[in-house]
Amino acid sequence: MKKRRLKIPSKGRIPISIVSLVLGFILAFSYSISSENTEELSLVSSQFNEQEKYKEELILQKERNKELTEEMNDKQQAIRDIEQSLVDSEGNIEGLVNEAEMLRLLIGDITSQGKGIAVSLVDGAYDPSQENPNDYIVHESHVFKVINELKISGAEAISINGQRLHANSFIRCTGPVITVDGNIFPAPFTIEAVGDPSVLLASVNLGGGIVDQLTSDNIVVIVEEKSKIMMPALRDETS
Amino acid sequence: MWLPLLGLILGISLGLLTEIQIPEVYESYLSIAVLAALDTLFGGIRAQLQRVYDDKVFVSGFFFNIALAAALAFLGVHLGVDLYLAAIFAFGVRLFQNIAVIRRILLTKWSERKINS
Repeated sequence: MKKRRLKIPSKGRIPISIVSLVLGFILAFSYSISSENTEELSLVSSQFNEQEKYKEELILQKERNKELTEEMNDKQQAIRDIEQSLVDSEGNIEGLVNEAEMLRLLIGDITSQGKGIAVSLVDGAYDPSQENPNDYIVHESHVFKVINELKISGAEAISINGQRLHANSFIRCTGPVITVDGNIFPAPFTIEAVGDPSVLLASVNLGGGIVDQLTSDNIVVIVEEKSKIMMPALRDETS
Repeated sequence: MWLPLLGLILGISLGLLTEIQIPEVYESYLSIAVLAALDTLFGGIRAQLQRVYDDKVFVSGFFFNIALAAALAFLGVHLGVDLYLAAIFAFGVRLFQNIAVIRRILLTKWSERKINS
């Protein structure tokens, strides 16, 4: 060892020591920075795993919900069958059962299908002469008007863009879109109603009625008669 | 002989103990600093072994190389071209050359000592 040490010149030891100190500092510093980065990465992946777990749980819950909904539908059908048999046996309960049927339709508990009409509300074309776009787009008040008119005319069941309305439905204006029972729908709105098409059409097209009012608000209204409308029973599957 | 090693250990412990945070933008500067320090260190060791070591050359080379590399990286960031790669390339090549020279010198010394003894 002593021989070898003699052979290596000792000149400039101090600057080299200082540079190696600096080098060691930088090396250790970048090492600690990169290890921090990997910690952050592992944190992100653990969050991802957690999310994945919750997603799986959600899927399981949804499947369970679906099973329960099917079971409920079966039970409902059984009740209706029993009621039907009661109608067959006792004529005087028929009125009550019909009322129950109507109320079920009202709260959207059972499937509704049959003839009906569809009313489409489309925003008016862009009009440069109108300063305010509010003057030619569909508002929730227009949707209210149409729904009220349809209800007055004896519609059994009503849906907006496929979302069936029930007794406790709410419609809210949320900026450029409307919220129906928590689901957001953009224009154009198609309001479908199950009921006697001739009555519904007549009431909608009444002179000074709903179509005239909406047209004067620069809204394009399209009324169609439908030979068959199918509305599924409403279940609380919003998640 | 042991002074540079002592300095290295001291530097590593200091670096591990510091809690300074630097923005991600400057991480390329850090890699250049590592390379410049490595290059200067091995260049110094080689010069020492070849007995051509000079304090002024060593110290000025260290600072000048780091400044040049940092300037290149800065320019590269602002031009959108990865100019710091040039510095990394130059430092890398010189690093390998220096280490090769050191290896040869040490090998020669070792074989000489074997013959002598």
